Amino acid sequence: MTIQVSTLLAILIMASVTYLTRIGGYLLLGDRELSARARIVLDAAPGCVLISVIAPTFASGRPADLMALGLTVLAATRLPLAPTVVIAISAAAVLRRIVM
Amino acid sequence: METVVSRPRDIGLQEFRRGVRASLPVMLGFVPFALVLGAQASAKGFSALETSLLTGLNFGGGSEFAAIELWTSPPHLLLIATVTLLVNSRHLLMGAAFASYLRAVSRRRALPALFFMCDESWAMGLADAKARAGEGRPPTLSMGYYSGVSASLYLTWVVFTALGVLLGPILGDVTAYGFDMAFPAVFLVLLRGMWTGLRAAVPWGIALVVAGLVHHVAPGAWHVPAGAVSGVAAAWIWGRP
Repeated sequence: MTIQVSTLLAILIMASVTYLTRIGGYLLLGDRELSARARIVLDAAPGCVLISVIAPTFASGRPADLMALGLTVLAATRLPLAPTVVIAISAAAVLRRIVM
Repeated sequence: METVVSRPRDIGLQEFRRGVRASLPVMLGFVPFALVLGAQASAKGFSALETSLLTGLNFGGGSEFAAIELWTSPPHLLLIATVTLLVNSRHLLMGAAFASYLRAVSRRRALPALFFMCDESWAMGLADAKARAGEGRPPTLSMGYYSGVSASLYLTWVVFTALGVLLGPILGDVTAYGFDMAFPAVFLVLLRGMWTGLRAAVPWGIALVVAGLVHHVAPGAWHVPAGAVSGVAAAWIWGRP
């Protein structure tokens, strides 16, 4: 178990930057009344972040992954969270073995 | 199920437990990512202690994957700081959206709580606050629920990234078992909860396409800020009240 000084410094810088992004939006925009347009933008932002995070799965181009993703989308539009996750994991595991 | 005698602390504990239960599928989704990050960190010469410091103090998976990928010995501090800022710039928007649900919470409680704001805890907290508002309650984040979610996700991330360092050398390809598909599944269910119609979802489509394209041309986690900013810009352009 060792800690290098340069590594520790980089970690502390990263942690500070990340925490500033976390409190920045709250501190700068928290007390203001927002315009209707700003509200539309902030309402759209959550979905935009979430879908950007999972975009690589959509763009993978692996047939097995795309098929599993299709099943997952179908499940997600009709079922609660837990069964959707189970279907997603098993579909990916099975399809990756039988398809390429 | 509220009884007349239930005190605020009991309700807080109930809410905490509700948050822990709701987090279980997401925790399952965290595990493979955490193991992979730990394995990659160990390949870059990180000790388990250094990795725990990184994931415990920073607690932002996207920026940690990016930093490990760009890691040199000694690390390029300005590069690491810039990439961290870009990958995590979405937190600014997220914090702003969170702020209107934190009006009833004092700043002294909100600032430490925001340390634990990741994509998942934020989305779950927001979805929960919106659902509660739909039941006629004020649109306020349940701090108990949020704390339960945060504690579960934080511990899962820190513990399993450290485990990934130790298991790294003997760990195979975890994606072969399909566990990585848990993440899209969780996110798609969260998106369904945010669905208000096709027109409102157009920015999501733009974010998806841009993020997918950027993922193919740029390494690391650049697709996240690129997609998010494009989608938000689209919402701004077409967002007539």
